[in-house]
Amino acid sequence: MAAVTGILAGIRVFDMTLAAVGPWASKLLGQLGADVIKVESPEPEMSHQIPPKVKGTGVLYISANFNKRQIVLDLKDEADKAKAYRLARHCDVFIQNMRTGAAEKLGFGYDDIVAVRPDVIYVTSTAYGRVGPMASDGGVDPLLQAFSGFTSVNGPERPASDGTEFEMFRHLAHLDITTSSNIVEAVLQALIHRERTGQGQHIEIEMVTAALALQHTKLAEFFATGTQPRPLGSASTITAPHQAFQCQDREWLTVGVTRDEEWPAFCRALQLDDLAHDPRYETNADRVAARTELATTLAARFATKPAAWWAHRLTQAGVANSRVQDFDTLRHHPQVTANQHLVEIETPHFGALTVDQVPWDFSATPAGPVAAGGRQGEHSAEIRAELGLDDDPDGSAP
Amino acid sequence: MTGAPDSAGALAGFTVLDLTQGLCGPYASMRLADAGADVIKVEPPEVGDCARALPPFVEPGPERAGPDGGGGESAIFLALNRNKRSVAVDLDTHTGRYLVRRLAADADVVLEDLGPGRAEKLGLGHNRLKADNPDLITCSISAWGEQGPMRDLPGAELVVQAMAEYTRSLGHIGEAPIRLGADVANLNTAIFASQAVTAALFHRLRTGKGQRVAVSMLRVLLHMRGIMWAARSDPDFWGGFHLDHYVNPPEHGYEAADGRLFFGLRRASSEDFDRLMIDLGLVDHIADDRFGNFGRDAAPLGRHVEEAREVWEEAFRQRSVEELRTLIQSAGGDAVGFNDYPSLFEHPQIRALEVTAEIEHPTLGPVRTLRPVARLDASPATIRSPPPLLGQHTDEVLDAIGVDAAERAALRAASVIA
Repeated sequence: MAAVTGILAGIRVFDMTLAAVGPWASKLLGQLGADVIKVESPEPEMSHQIPPKVKGTGVLYISANFNKRQIVLDLKDEADKAKAYRLARHCDVFIQNMRTGAAEKLGFGYDDIVAVRPDVIYVTSTAYGRVGPMASDGGVDPLLQAFSGFTSVNGPERPASDGTEFEMFRHLAHLDITTSSNIVEAVLQALIHRERTGQGQHIEIEMVTAALALQHTKLAEFFATGTQPRPLGSASTITAPHQAFQCQDREWLTVGVTRDEEWPAFCRALQLDDLAHDPRYETNADRVAARTELATTLAARFATKPAAWWAHRLTQAGVANSRVQDFDTLRHHPQVTANQHLVEIETPHFGALTVDQVPWDFSATPAGPVAAGGRQGEHSAEIRAELGLDDDPDGSAP
Repeated sequence: MTGAPDSAGALAGFTVLDLTQGLCGPYASMRLADAGADVIKVEPPEVGDCARALPPFVEPGPERAGPDGGGGESAIFLALNRNKRSVAVDLDTHTGRYLVRRLAADADVVLEDLGPGRAEKLGLGHNRLKADNPDLITCSISAWGEQGPMRDLPGAELVVQAMAEYTRSLGHIGEAPIRLGADVANLNTAIFASQAVTAALFHRLRTGKGQRVAVSMLRVLLHMRGIMWAARSDPDFWGGFHLDHYVNPPEHGYEAADGRLFFGLRRASSEDFDRLMIDLGLVDHIADDRFGNFGRDAAPLGRHVEEAREVWEEAFRQRSVEELRTLIQSAGGDAVGFNDYPSLFEHPQIRALEVTAEIEHPTLGPVRTLRPVARLDASPATIRSPPPLLGQHTDEVLDAIGVDAAERAALRAASVIA
């Protein structure tokens, strides 16, 4: 792999991760410049099989494993296990997201790794934590969506008496990647701590806590009122107007007035100047309280002209608005291309792919480049030679 | 900078000057504060952070307000601003901006969400601030990115979700858009902003060099969907949720006797599957083509999931969620019930994890808050102080940069500070 001069240049990661949460975290570390070594068992992991596939490989496996080098080691085989410990000695960070207890059973728990690398930053990532009745349950995005309350605030507006409908977000990787980004933040904090004190540490992260953190604002409503915040279709429980309206051409335009100073501009854009002075709608709290009534007035107004007109007027007035994009329009939208929010890369095994851009723009330490994903075990020989993993043939180490 | 509460967190000793408002920037700076940074929150003197106006409001004393609130403190503001100090300074005045530049000269990080180019216009851009503080780190948060035709348009949670086509993974195709209830455009971006600042601090520790970092909500939501973009590039076939999510109907899980449930059969073997089908009274379906691949084809994410839904539900309706969880687990699968917030906080797992804490607020009494996500055993995040009142720390913070009591009185009289 070409040399990467990112923030984490010189930091090596032992990546013993599976599926999405762990692999995406170590991919982000790789994009920051770390040398990430993905250690895989000889059996292909499940993510090879999850559809769709690109040139025969599961797309999750491809996307979650960019910017890594890959080695196959059978951790149940003594010779390979010795190689893995030798590798661990060279690694600053160790990440695993196996079920609670599984890494320990293999001999790769925190205590095992700290024995060979005393200042290691070791990440244990689980679904529901290492305590409690669900400590050993496995979890993937949809299960965590269901369990964590994430689905209880989605859906059309319905009477509270109908109970909670629980609508899932059908992109079933959001909570996975949210957990990954929490891991990366924690690893960076631990690297700072190690830089200042020389001390490594053990980091524990659960998907469920990450899922709760993403609901900070919704849970705040619950903590304050003691009642479940209701889903309101496209509308917001804390700001108004902040929803989608159907226009004359039947297109939906989303708008959001989130600060009081935007309200008069919004009214002018809709040529409803009187509303700006209507005492029922003076403050955000007033508008939230009178949301239904206000939405009825606004819906009638939006229905009189096409979305293009209202989008034009609102944009000129500096009020947030957008149509609901479709994927291909979005891919080539001038806002996306001007910022390179998505990038196309050539990969050696999977052809040209459109992929996620790194989420940060650093002025002095460009992140990446996005290196194409490899195949299982692709760099085994290279890593074994480079780090001397085959040395010590009498097996006395560690 | 003095006055920072003690912390063993990884970012102890770093000062963050936070010029942001609303949800995203304040959540980012709270994550930095939880990790030990001393965060100085700059707010407009009269109304403060715009999040202070977001309902519901928590009233002083034991009584809790309803959603129409009035008075009290915004629950949303309270959730996103613990561990910070508040300084009320008017950025629309020349003197206010001068004070902020003085504060920035002593800070390690400046966080801003003023909009592309606006900090520069106010004399608060990275290059200007760097003149007095060469190794400063600046983090700029925008809605859409700093280039392109939409750069100057404000963002709003739903509007960014719609632009990033998030609403297409909820509701019915062709019908009214449904928002994702969690404020993901704001909060996921905050996590990446906090991450970017932390990475830049690490770089500065190693090299002595500061820099400017930028994140945008649109970029973040597109990143979160990265697998889908790769899937759409050149798939071998059209299938799987990364491609089908927007044409599929809403997913509400499966009805059981006492609630709804979601499950998977990832690790089920042939023997597990046979036993599960016998236990569920579904023996007739063991040889059913739709239940191929040891049931995985008929389970969620399988290719026959919709055709098989009614078969599963008929069996599930006879059993409780807990019974099904045990049964499916013993067959090499996973299952959980759906929770809303009241049931979630009653759940023994959530109780065992101790996910909430109480902080004592100066006017409201105890306020319930979510604990930080990651547990770092050597440099733990901590909850040290309640969300500040507007301008609560103006005097101590300005005093520390040499603005004395007489000067502060004059600045107050001129409404530059509060």
